[in-house]
Amino acid sequence: MKKNTLVMLGGFIIAGAIVFLLMAATPGSSGIELTMKQLLATQGQHKDDFVTVEGLLIEKSIKWNPDKIQLKFDVKDNDGNIMHVVHNGIKPDNFSEGVITILQGSPTTKDTFKAETVKTRCPSKYEGKDMKDYDPKKHEKLLNQPPHEK
Amino acid sequence: MYLFANATIYIGLALAIYSLLIMTLGISTKNQKLVNSGKGGVIALFVCAGLAMSSLFYLLGSSQFQYEYVRDYTSSELPVIYKLTALWAGNAGSLLLWTFFLTLYMMMITFSRKMNGNPMIPYIISILLANAVFFFFILGFVAKPFLLLDQIPTEGKGLNPMLQNPGMIIHPVTLYLGYVGLSVPFAFAMAALIMKNMDDFWIKMTRRWTIIAWLFLSLGNIFGGQWAYVELGWGGYWAWDPVENASFMPWLTATAFLHSVMIQERKNMLKVWNISLIIISYALTLFGTFLVRSGVLTSVHAFANSNLGLYFLIFMGIAVIMALYVLMSRYNLIKRSAGEFTSFASKESSFLINNLLLVGAAFAVFWGTIFPLVSEAVRGTKVTVGTPFFNKVEAPILLSMMFVMAVCPLLAWQRSTIKNLRENFLLPAIVAVIAMILMVVLGMTKAWAVIGYGVIALLLVTHYLEFYRGVKARRKMTKENPLLALYRLTVKNRRRYGGYLVHLGIACITMGIIGSQNYDVQTMKTIELGKSIEINNYRINYDKLDQKKEGINDIVYAQVTVFKDGKRLGSYEPEKVFYGHWDQPSSEVAIISSFKEDLYIVLSAWEDDGRATFIVKVNPMMSWLWIGSFMIVIGSLFAVWNGRYQNVTPRYTGVRREVF
Repeated sequence: MKKNTLVMLGGFIIAGAIVFLLMAATPGSSGIELTMKQLLATQGQHKDDFVTVEGLLIEKSIKWNPDKIQLKFDVKDNDGNIMHVVHNGIKPDNFSEGVITILQGSPTTKDTFKAETVKTRCPSKYEGKDMKDYDPKKHEKLLNQPPHEK
Repeated sequence: MYLFANATIYIGLALAIYSLLIMTLGISTKNQKLVNSGKGGVIALFVCAGLAMSSLFYLLGSSQFQYEYVRDYTSSELPVIYKLTALWAGNAGSLLLWTFFLTLYMMMITFSRKMNGNPMIPYIISILLANAVFFFFILGFVAKPFLLLDQIPTEGKGLNPMLQNPGMIIHPVTLYLGYVGLSVPFAFAMAALIMKNMDDFWIKMTRRWTIIAWLFLSLGNIFGGQWAYVELGWGGYWAWDPVENASFMPWLTATAFLHSVMIQERKNMLKVWNISLIIISYALTLFGTFLVRSGVLTSVHAFANSNLGLYFLIFMGIAVIMALYVLMSRYNLIKRSAGEFTSFASKESSFLINNLLLVGAAFAVFWGTIFPLVSEAVRGTKVTVGTPFFNKVEAPILLSMMFVMAVCPLLAWQRSTIKNLRENFLLPAIVAVIAMILMVVLGMTKAWAVIGYGVIALLLVTHYLEFYRGVKARRKMTKENPLLALYRLTVKNRRRYGGYLVHLGIACITMGIIGSQNYDVQTMKTIELGKSIEINNYRINYDKLDQKKEGINDIVYAQVTVFKDGKRLGSYEPEKVFYGHWDQPSSEVAIISSFKEDLYIVLSAWEDDGRATFIVKVNPMMSWLWIGSFMIVIGSLFAVWNGRYQNVTPRYTGVRREVF
């Protein structure tokens, strides 16, 4: 019986170690998830935080600098708030008007979000896509056009 | 067709309810006729689900766009294979697939030779039938696969190009087989508890089924990772996304169960623990589905938001509460006649540690996954924990698990003496230490990587010794040639050596993970035509930018020539594919793979003047990930293969009941 208890005790120590590991790792690697509205309202408070925020992409605003590999674009939410985003990286694959972008990074300056990662989530990733704005010419145009329009 | 297809669903629902009722009635009145009728219901149910599946296949294959599902996921010029596999591209279809697998498993259990005449069957089937009722209900009222549109569109919306990849054909199927598979051990466990019967037979059968489910779950995760690696163009394979976690958690707990059940088999210990693991694994599959389909968490994978997740949550709640009730009410019975630990250095205790680590790992994943929800409820802000959290927490846990895995085979059951420890561990320990010193000398400086590879070296040696000693002992008696001896040895102990093979597979995967996580190099550059990018000892010459047409897809590709140490490796074409019907391109990466490392080239953007932006990555040891996965498959198949083997599943010997 004694050994049994001791083994159990050892088990608790391991379990305790894992819980400790969890507690220790949580603060350092956590960030917060805000809606754009919240973020814009409380930007100052979150300067040092790692923030996840979602917004709808405004396609016209995309500026792509191939030499610096820097991507600038704006996102909006459904209330019409607009936020500028800077990302030192490339364009994700389905980067088109209205796509939901998941941004992670820090809101360094007013209205500008410095994104470390930019991911996209098509609002209908598994639900097909609307055909009404499909334009067969678009592919051609896309090919012959530089991604930065302005 | 519309009537027929829908009829299969609703008749299925009616049949499932009928079979469930008649089965439980048969059990309680001990009426064999009623139970047989319920079994007949299982066949009919299988036929229904099969017909529903075929109907949807037919509709998809023949592009009948008047159906919403067909319109949403296919288009007429899609290759036939993707038309058909669009069946599991959306909510309703994937649930239909799930239901079909459930009925398939039910058939297999009801009419398997091993289970013939076993009084557990009615109980097992009843529990699975309750699941079937739930799924048919969902198909009939929440996520309907056969919805007609008001107007017949001329063309469908097409399948998301990201899903047009061989990996996506098979990944959902295997994952669902794994998910559904875990409801089988759950049903077995519940049946055993209800019948107050927990004998050898129960354990053997449950173990088999769990291995099968486990194998499919592993495959599902592996295929998913591979798809992400080749298709998504970010050079990774696992992102600790909620959806990935959802399938990783049951995998961990099922792995824990597979090991701790061995102790129960030998020592009659840990019975409550085992049952709890089964319940948890099963609940986690439902919880995972809830996470995936409800959209409560921010995920790149998310299915369309719907209230579907809620139904899963409710169903999971009911299942767990009932399972716990059964467990509690049988608690005294299970508790009786449990064995005890006799030593710290024994297989038992190493299994226990392994279990704690696995469950701890699962809990850590769970914690990280639901943390945003918890913090939102408690503090009002969604606090997210990202990849660094998971890496920080999981790496030490999984590394210690590797260590236990390395040590365990050489520990004796009951107790290991000092002498036995010294004999068994001296050599492996020396090899591992030498390996670690070598690594440091050769210039590896990352502590985690060195320790990790040291543990893997230890594992390889101890497992090699297991095979070596087994063969040696056998040859002493039989004088067979070594290969024959190895063959006969392993075939006689399928589960054991199959398990070792799986361990080796995991070791290979870990090698790949450690290598690719610690030593990957990435560069991102925009270069002009004719210029080149250098990374490590590779040089990538950018020769040409061009476009071509494949079917309705337009492809822009860059032609690059790759040199390694000045030697030409060949010419490759990373592409961007503009799929017809989709505005946005998707990347087709060029991967140059070797045992040592993968060179991963993505064409990410291009300009009018021919300049192009490439992402180039060197991912060390990636191939080992896939090699290890392959070994896992071989190992688990080997373990469950129903050949002539010594541990024949014992005939049922428990309590007799009148119905079977």
